[in-house]
Amino acid sequence: MLQDILQKEKELFEDGVQTVLRGQENRNRRVVILKGNIVQNSRSESRGINARVGKDGLFGFASIAEYSEEAARKVLKAASENAALLAHHSENKGIVLPPSYGSGVIPTNRDIVDAEQKKIIDACRTIDAYVEKKYPDLESRTVVYTEDSQDRIIYSSDAYSGHLTTPRCYIYVMMSAKTKEGAPVELFKALGGYGCFEDNFADLEQYYPEIDQLYKKVMDKKEGVYAEAGYKTVVLGGMMGGMLAHEAVGHTVEADLVMGGSVAGPNLGKRVASDLVTMIDYAHTYNGETAPLPVYLDDEGTKAVDAELIRDGILTGYMNSRETAEKYKMKPAGNARGWTFSDEPLIRMRNTCILPGKNTVEELIESVDDGYYLIDSGNGQADLTGEFMFGVTCGYEIKNGKLGRALLDTTVTGVAFEMLKTVDMVSDKVEWSSSGFCGKKQPMAVGMGGPHMRCKIMIGGR
Amino acid sequence: MSEIREIADLFDGILKDKKLEKYTYTLVKSEKQELNVENDEFKLMRTVFNNYASIKVFKDNKMGNASGNDLSEEALKKLADDGVSAAESSPEDPCHDFAPDQGKDVFRQGIYEPDMDRFIERIKEFLAAVKKEYPQVKVMQAIGSYDRNNWISRNTNGTEFEAFTGEYSFYAGVCASDGEATTGIDGAGFTAKDLDTPFIELGEMRRCLDSISKSIHPESLEGKFEGTVILTPGCAENFLYMVIGNYISDSVVIDGTSMWLDKVGEQVASDKLTVALKPYDERIVMGERGTQDGFRAEDVTLIEKGVLKTHRLGLYASNKTGRPVVKNTGGAMVVEPGDKSIDEIIASVDKGLLMSGFSGGQPGANGEFSGVAKNSFLIEKGKIKDAVTETMVNGNLGEVVKNIRAISKELTCSGDSVMPYIAVDGIIVSGK
Repeated sequence: MLQDILQKEKELFEDGVQTVLRGQENRNRRVVILKGNIVQNSRSESRGINARVGKDGLFGFASIAEYSEEAARKVLKAASENAALLAHHSENKGIVLPPSYGSGVIPTNRDIVDAEQKKIIDACRTIDAYVEKKYPDLESRTVVYTEDSQDRIIYSSDAYSGHLTTPRCYIYVMMSAKTKEGAPVELFKALGGYGCFEDNFADLEQYYPEIDQLYKKVMDKKEGVYAEAGYKTVVLGGMMGGMLAHEAVGHTVEADLVMGGSVAGPNLGKRVASDLVTMIDYAHTYNGETAPLPVYLDDEGTKAVDAELIRDGILTGYMNSRETAEKYKMKPAGNARGWTFSDEPLIRMRNTCILPGKNTVEELIESVDDGYYLIDSGNGQADLTGEFMFGVTCGYEIKNGKLGRALLDTTVTGVAFEMLKTVDMVSDKVEWSSSGFCGKKQPMAVGMGGPHMRCKIMIGGR
Repeated sequence: MSEIREIADLFDGILKDKKLEKYTYTLVKSEKQELNVENDEFKLMRTVFNNYASIKVFKDNKMGNASGNDLSEEALKKLADDGVSAAESSPEDPCHDFAPDQGKDVFRQGIYEPDMDRFIERIKEFLAAVKKEYPQVKVMQAIGSYDRNNWISRNTNGTEFEAFTGEYSFYAGVCASDGEATTGIDGAGFTAKDLDTPFIELGEMRRCLDSISKSIHPESLEGKFEGTVILTPGCAENFLYMVIGNYISDSVVIDGTSMWLDKVGEQVASDKLTVALKPYDERIVMGERGTQDGFRAEDVTLIEKGVLKTHRLGLYASNKTGRPVVKNTGGAMVVEPGDKSIDEIIASVDKGLLMSGFSGGQPGANGEFSGVAKNSFLIEKGKIKDAVTETMVNGNLGEVVKNIRAISKELTCSGDSVMPYIAVDGIIVSGK
């Protein structure tokens, strides 16, 4: 954990400008075992200090890869000089930030506990040995351990301060098999979540049922068929629902993209989804429990609270920085975050989720005569218009209310605010994922969740 | 003597004291000065002073890797310990290794002293030109960055490479609107070693601006057809990197899932296609000089007139599989031009798409891909028609390189690659 050496540097904050000073350490651990061979075995740490100063709608930001009082003084000076240089060349007066929405100290949420590399490797080899022994007919297998953590100390001139951490770690299990034509098919599963190694992997046997389930899906997939391309009725699984919340809607309601012209701009207060759809970007708590990746304080010094985005199908809000909140007359909810010590805060999602409804998953599947059940997604992207794409790695046909053959890899697309209006059944449970990164100039760890939903969507295929 | 060289000497002393017999390390000092534009206006200036230190320790046929960004003596001692600890915890695998002695060299590339005032003025000039020539276009986000690096790499086989590099890069993400009608995002970028040319004339910038300004009112396609898709230079580069990843990279050769596992020397693509990675090409601004395995980098031809010349294997994969190592970590893609102009190629297409973006899932190991055609236009009877929306393309990477209809004689140089347009037959295009 970082030692707090920054507190007294607050005395150097310049009058008349808004300043945030941040010390940060990111840790990464990675082991990759490909078919029994350790092809990656690495540990890395990056640490440093940054300062951002805002004046007259322009920002200067500077960072140094040192964690010292001298480095803090240097970045404060350099950030001020950058803001001044920009002001010299620019006529932009931008949006002047308002007075703070509150100040105080946010308590530290938890420690980060480091694990020895040997323990990590042993855990990966145990999982690999389980897969090798139990499923020798696989064409290939890969086990990947990945851990990243953020340890941040934040001081702001006019908002909250605090020392917060966000550790997470996962073991990915990937399996590959060949179709009878000799073409490889593959699937993966991420095990683990928020917390350190011992929190997630002290008991490896708890994951064996999920690994067994993954094998079954790979065997189904090697007998799989291509989806029929076209506009289809589908049941999106919870992981796909989370991807929908993040990609299809979440990005369009990030206020910096709204300013850029996203489809959410003219739709605030209007119907954008069926009345079964409510969507929240949770800060740190969901249903009384810790959210998948809790955020208590953002990198502008804003205390994190939930951001409501859609309520009963009506677009009700955006995710904001302090600057965009001023523009749109909203309250910032703590969405401005940077990934490493050298990254400026950008508007990022936290735990973005479509809320559950009243149906069971079985009821959704039974209701479809001819369509698809789409379970897992490998990746996704979205555009300003709300046009989105998800890669579908795992899915099944639905014929007369029953699951049929598995699907080979495919892709779905649609326009978010049109597609969400076709949602007519929503399941009663939410599934979360937290292993992914969102890319938006910088990477960022995000949680996403959703229920099963019945809707219409464009699916690619042969 | 450079500061990084003094730190390397200090690190050598630490490693000697620890009696390490086999290792390779890299130390880097870097500086970034970055200008950020949001919605046509300057918004933020960012400076980053960063370091990087990475060591691979080899002990009793075991390998461990540790890295960090602290170059202090105390941190370097810890880094060495972490490397040893990682190696000791790893199982034996003699395939981990690094290159034999490559000698000593100092590389100098690009501009080491930036002209930031002129850089800012070039960005302002770009913003003004877009406003004047493309009034419906908004520069949502632009990032202009000057990056300076000094790195040194040494290993116990005797190799020592040091480099001094400095480059300008610029990326603009743009959209266009007319009333409430708005496009999606398109973007283009480039790397440059000088500021002699207006930014709007570099890389694919003009093509991108022309394309987005004609995309405000797209049409949805009905039904599906099999047609010709012309990939713009940037899109063609993305597809060819997917081909490399799926068929000739380390992991798919080690685990045997590559569909081109035993195809070296065979025709795998159209004889129109020649693909090379050329870090020494004069059109490449910052080509690799030392590979991640410690080799002096070389230009390498991967596909020549459709024949697969080599897999693109690093040293570990080479040792593991008994196949040749490639002394090139990647990047600097150069594709040989064809003999037809892009206008002639468009005129020859009965029905298809001009596609400048592909938003799709990662293709499976079998090469099957499906995704959304972004920033794309319908082509009918040799003419470019409307921009399209909600349009999907499906195919197979292996078939894409076999079914090349034509390659343009025009080349786009982004500083990072040299690419033509590539027209491909047999792609399934589907709308609602």
